Amino acid sequence: MQAVAEPLHGHAHGEELSFWRKYVFSVDHKVIGRQYMSLALFMMLIGALTALLIRWQLAWPETPVPGFAWVPEPTMFAGVVPPEFYNALITMHGTIMVFFVAMPFLLGGFGNFLIPLMVGAEDMAFPRLNMMSFWTIFTASMILVASFFVPGGAAAAGWTGYAPLSADPQFTGVNWGINLWLIALALEFASFLMGGVNFLTTAINMRAPGLSLMRLPLMVWMQLTAAVLFMLSVGPLVGGAVMLLFDRTIGTAFFQPARGGDALLWQHLFWFFGHPEVYVVMLPGFGVLLEVFPVFTRRPIFGYKAIIYSTIGAGVLSFVVWAHHMFVSGIDPRLATPFSVTTILISVPFAIMVFSMVASFRGGSISYPAPMLFAVGALATFLIGGVTGIFLGSAAVDIYLHGTYFVVAHFHYTLFPAVLFGGFAGIYFWFPKMFGRMMNETLGKIHFWITVVGFNCVFIPLFLAGAAGNVRRVYNPMQYDFLKHLAPIHQFATIATVVLLIGQIPFVINFFWSLFAGQPATDNPWKANTLEWATASPPPHGNFEKVPTVYRDPYEYSLPGLAEDYLPQGVPAPAPRGV
Amino acid sequence: MSSVAKPSVGYLTIWVWLLVLLAAGVALLAVPSKTLAVVLIFTVASVKAFLVLRHYMHVRHQPLMVYALLAVPLLLAIALTIVLLPDIAFR
Amino acid sequence: MSSVAIAEHPHADSREFTAQPLGKVGVWWFLASEIMVFGGLIGSYILSRIAAGGWVAERAHVNTRIAIINTIVLVTSSFTVVKAHAAAEADDRERTRWFMLATVLLGCTFLCIKGFEYSREIEHGFTPATSLFWSFYYTMTGLHGLHVLVGIIINFALFLAVGGGGWPRIKHRIEYAGLYWHFVDVVWIFLFPLLYLA
Repeated sequence: MQAVAEPLHGHAHGEELSFWRKYVFSVDHKVIGRQYMSLALFMMLIGALTALLIRWQLAWPETPVPGFAWVPEPTMFAGVVPPEFYNALITMHGTIMVFFVAMPFLLGGFGNFLIPLMVGAEDMAFPRLNMMSFWTIFTASMILVASFFVPGGAAAAGWTGYAPLSADPQFTGVNWGINLWLIALALEFASFLMGGVNFLTTAINMRAPGLSLMRLPLMVWMQLTAAVLFMLSVGPLVGGAVMLLFDRTIGTAFFQPARGGDALLWQHLFWFFGHPEVYVVMLPGFGVLLEVFPVFTRRPIFGYKAIIYSTIGAGVLSFVVWAHHMFVSGIDPRLATPFSVTTILISVPFAIMVFSMVASFRGGSISYPAPMLFAVGALATFLIGGVTGIFLGSAAVDIYLHGTYFVVAHFHYTLFPAVLFGGFAGIYFWFPKMFGRMMNETLGKIHFWITVVGFNCVFIPLFLAGAAGNVRRVYNPMQYDFLKHLAPIHQFATIATVVLLIGQIPFVINFFWSLFAGQPATDNPWKANTLEWATASPPPHGNFEKVPTVYRDPYEYSLPGLAEDYLPQGVPAPAPRGV
Repeated sequence: MSSVAKPSVGYLTIWVWLLVLLAAGVALLAVPSKTLAVVLIFTVASVKAFLVLRHYMHVRHQPLMVYALLAVPLLLAIALTIVLLPDIAFR
Repeated sequence: MSSVAIAEHPHADSREFTAQPLGKVGVWWFLASEIMVFGGLIGSYILSRIAAGGWVAERAHVNTRIAIINTIVLVTSSFTVVKAHAAAEADDRERTRWFMLATVLLGCTFLCIKGFEYSREIEHGFTPATSLFWSFYYTMTGLHGLHVLVGIIINFALFLAVGGGGWPRIKHRIEYAGLYWHFVDVVWIFLFPLLYLA
């Protein structure tokens, strides 16, 4: 058996790679991670644009959106959003944000970049498969964007694509738009199946000596759980997507009630995946928080094992809650009770996680640079999202609230904190490691405050609107007398949306400016313990000079009797403490 | 990594058994009770699958994780079908 | 075993938690996700069939005899691919090539017979649009056939690679490809009675 500290590189480094092999078709997980992140940020621009158009239409219905007069008919009419395009906007907003922003950002981006580093490996288990997974989702993204420009426009049956609206082109007036949507989704699923195989194999088989499962950073646990959830839940929807595509193109009868098909089957297949999917997207966001909190409280995470078991428990439960999206869809009423029970139950593991995070602050020496601001903001806003989910989980209450803006506000209050606040926290935190430079702290603080205030101003009013009966996916709620009094709420939310979007400008400036002119970063600017900080910023090809050995848990901060308040995983124990 | 004691004889025997079971499954069509026929036919299919898994895929020699990787999705798919019975099958 | 592993995967010796090569761990995880793909589709078929009352009249038109022949073909190809694996383990590259070729040819035979079966059915007026049963029939066997096609391509690539360099890596990949191929066979073992027998 060879000694532990053997050099990592089994292949020759004589050949210098061409520009294309190094930066475009790279098999290096760090490059691929950054590519995923760039794709996600680009798609986020489009998603944000759709949000702006939606919110304008809701606040000032059938008035021209400033700056959009150039969009040709029949997509828009002299800057006015018509009903057909409104449906496409809400569909594409959801699809883009969930599948083409959240997943590539958190899983493809952070997962790819961090997992090999955090487990002490020199790359993913299957580097070429990794590259293929990125180009697959890249292709999928291009197909989805292209769907805006086909005759009939983009998909317009909701991001949930319920049949029979989605199954028969004549119901939406959209033909190729939905077909391309299905193809883009199928490719996206394939991309993350490939990624999932990579993540799991790497974390299971390529850990550094001494890195037992119970010494893994929580970010890795979150990514792994997300990968398992995705891989086990997406299968039935892959079948369902093929069935829907065939219904639309070759005349099959899967979701055609008149020919023996069942439209409800689509909903079941969709949500069986759809519910674990929202945790797939949330858990890595939590992972960011769990890495950021110990570093900026200088304390171990409270309840490491409790968090892991809760995550696994939540993952298991996530497979048996899906019908809470279908309480008023015409399911057998006897199904409502068990699914209500499981839905309320699933709040328990998440509560344990949230309370553990809060408890981690106790006795800490807390500082608030940008990553920490976003992490704390994420925790606080997620609480609101989680609590409002309990209302929706009770079938009786959901009968009233389903399909209203209460639901919209609820899921934005869970997704936004996890994906965007968590994602931003992650970028501010790992930017030095990824790019070798520090981001500007002042711009970061401005970004945070505008984002958190703006976000809350957009969505708190929507809880009120929803409770007042404002149904969602309606082009013009003001056409109904009983909703007319909500017009000021919608206008306030839209103005807040504009502020929120403007608040992202400091981030964009900060990101690009810091890339080129940020202060050069040291290996470990935050004085953190996990293995990615034990190598250069950015890490060299192969990540580590030699295979690290792990001696302890990842969150050993503020140990008494030591010179420093942190003790990295890969450093042998100092003399007084015999670990 | 998969240790096979006497490969050649074992594999051929299994192949013969798979064909025998195929014939048995087809023969079961003659069973008068339809429900019993269905149960028996799928039992036969399960035995065939088990033979392939055990003797061709060497599941015995794989890490324990593989048993979980096979059992969990299978149970999940079966559970999904069962939960959907009242909604889709017995409308 | 471990010294061979070091030479092939210099980074993956003492750190293999499962004491299995990376490729094998990866393939099993992939197969787990595939169980969900076919499981969802098969489950949907079962549910729809119960709802429709059994589809006895529709199912009378499938060609069980052709399917029996196809089952024999596919099961035999499972036999040949595991023989290829055994030959590879014994470092007998010549035998390995022959058995991989046999597997590829049997896979092609399966697809040809399937294509012939489809053409007969379409001639008789049974297309995916004919009824819900036929929608399921074509989609399930079609998805399975797609998996067979991918398997043929992989097996053919490996057949070609046996003669070249990098033998230890090819040896392991034959095992992984075999695992995938057996999975495709097992899916058919259940599709066959579902569509043609019970």
